[in-house]
Amino acid sequence: MTAKPETAPYRAAFTAHPADALADQRKSAFARFETLGFPTRREEAWRFTNLRPLQQAYLPGTATASKPDIAAYAFDGESYRLVFVNGRFAPDLSHTGALPKGVRLDNTAKLLPGHQDLAQSLLDDTDTAGGQGFAALNAALFADGYVLVLEDGVTLDHPVEIVHWGDAPDQSFHLRNLIKLGTGSRATILETYIGEGRYWTNAVTLVDVAAAASLRHVKLQDEATTAIHFGQVRGTLDRAARYDGFVLTLGSELSRHDSFIRYAGENAECGLFGAYLLRGAQEATNMTVVDHATPHCTTHEVFKGVVDERAHGVFLGKITVREDAQKTNANQLNKNLLLSARATVDTKPELEIFADDVKCSHGATVGDLDEDAMFYLEARGISPDEARRMLIEAFAADAIDRLEGEPALRAHLAAHVQRWLNVARVPS
Amino acid sequence: MLNIKNLHAKITDGREILKGINLDVKPGEVHAIMGPNGSGKSTLASVLAGRPGYEVTEGSVTFDGKDLLPLAADERAREGIFLAFQYPVEIPGVNNMYFLRAALNAVRRHRGQPDLDAGQFLKAVRAKLKELEINDDLLQRGVNVGFSGGEKKRNEIFQMAMLEPKLGLLDETDSGLDIDALRLVSNGINKLRSPSRAMVLITHYQRLLDYIEPDHIHVLSGGKIVMSGDKTLAAELEKRGYAMLDETAA
Repeated sequence: MTAKPETAPYRAAFTAHPADALADQRKSAFARFETLGFPTRREEAWRFTNLRPLQQAYLPGTATASKPDIAAYAFDGESYRLVFVNGRFAPDLSHTGALPKGVRLDNTAKLLPGHQDLAQSLLDDTDTAGGQGFAALNAALFADGYVLVLEDGVTLDHPVEIVHWGDAPDQSFHLRNLIKLGTGSRATILETYIGEGRYWTNAVTLVDVAAAASLRHVKLQDEATTAIHFGQVRGTLDRAARYDGFVLTLGSELSRHDSFIRYAGENAECGLFGAYLLRGAQEATNMTVVDHATPHCTTHEVFKGVVDERAHGVFLGKITVREDAQKTNANQLNKNLLLSARATVDTKPELEIFADDVKCSHGATVGDLDEDAMFYLEARGISPDEARRMLIEAFAADAIDRLEGEPALRAHLAAHVQRWLNVARVPS
Repeated sequence: MLNIKNLHAKITDGREILKGINLDVKPGEVHAIMGPNGSGKSTLASVLAGRPGYEVTEGSVTFDGKDLLPLAADERAREGIFLAFQYPVEIPGVNNMYFLRAALNAVRRHRGQPDLDAGQFLKAVRAKLKELEINDDLLQRGVNVGFSGGEKKRNEIFQMAMLEPKLGLLDETDSGLDIDALRLVSNGINKLRSPSRAMVLITHYQRLLDYIEPDHIHVLSGGKIVMSGDKTLAAELEKRGYAMLDETAA
């Protein structure tokens, strides 16, 4: 196989990467990346995505002087916090305190050398599914990330808070994360991605939820508006497991969040929720790929988009119900508000059903703010600006409120939606 | 307080609905505007409240001596005009209390009064609920979401009580109400009557006027006020129907 030309600048970076325990896997991952190259618009999963910002090569670099400014994003409550700066663990900014028994939480680079089992879980050759060359690049180049492992029956009392700050100019940060929940265990994770300037964050998170375990996985992406952010979650749910994912997208010039969920047992449940609020020339894609391979599983998806100015939002949802997956219950909903004549949305909810006894639905809407609701609020003395804010906030809250049992996290996300709304609007 | 002179209005890019309305409303007065379907009653309320989609082509409206027509809907509301909607809008995700506090503080700021904090607001809410003899089961829900017809109208009256407007425009407030709800809502409106506040009741039926006694009754037909009188006019209309307008005209 020949290497695609756009991969060439990354070859030198890969050659310079220090050899570690995963050298062989990294080598084959890089070969996959070279073969796949960057996706093109001919590929269905990428046909709405303009990759022009990636024409410039963002190479991984060595440690760079940095001024992390994370205070405004700190979770207002107790948490076990790991902070990463420019792709690497920053112990001085982190505090995990005393972890409960049966919990392992550490950065990937630290755990890798002594734990061959975890290293194997971190890397496999499935990351090229769907032409995901960026996941293969991540496998080849990742320097760090986080690992959370819960033993059977352990409930983590506070959220794990992962903060990544990027500001090394023109660098890429490849983070490799692993979440492994033992039977009946429970955890909540809040990932926050922020930064300043031009950089590329490329994170891959592998999730393994064992029988009757439950994971809430929340991501707040508010990268610099000149940055690129790709995030990929690959999850496997065993019998009666539960995964609730929520992604709030506010930042980046170009961003993508891809969730690949596979059911490996019966009676498992998955909620994939998100809200994206975009302005300027921002472009953001949320893709979900859910594989109902087993019977009696339930998937709920709700994504709400607010798109202003010249921004572009994309939702690609695919649920496959295989022949044996009887009694599947799956629904997909993507609703969008266009706030400007130049804003655009592409939405493609998709169901592929091979079983006959299932309940599935999908829907998508694109519209303006409700004029009747606007007038009702204004007729009570509320200014058009404030009325508009109230309606947008309520629209996004409809997705945020799906995060059951996490009032503090919901409030945290709602506060960042409000912060987004407080930014003065450029009249279109 | 409200002076309407020769008001002509049309639906934007559409036909003329109001064809020369003249009306004077003084503080403390209650006016009822009656008329058959399509006579322009609701259009009049919409034009006065500043609803988009209408265009005034002739005439003037002043409110407390101020030209009302250049003002946007929210400015009119802050000046003291309250429109009780015929069909209150459901707004999912916007909490009733949050909405009402935002509205009240917007109005208060305009009057030069300080904002109410959460505690003060709650106290004011409790006082008004007690005064109107209504319970608070609606307050923590989304604005009008899942409310019955009666609950929606009750919520309108409660909002009016909280915002304390100078002028209440009540657009078909009696429509869709059963007799108990009608009594409750009318009772609320009567409690809000005061020497400094005027009200304009827009209604198709005379039955609302069994509960709220107006000072003046006007009959609107074909976009004009064709008949005005005191409260006895309602009884006559009830007896003879809107057909009497044709007879009178003949």
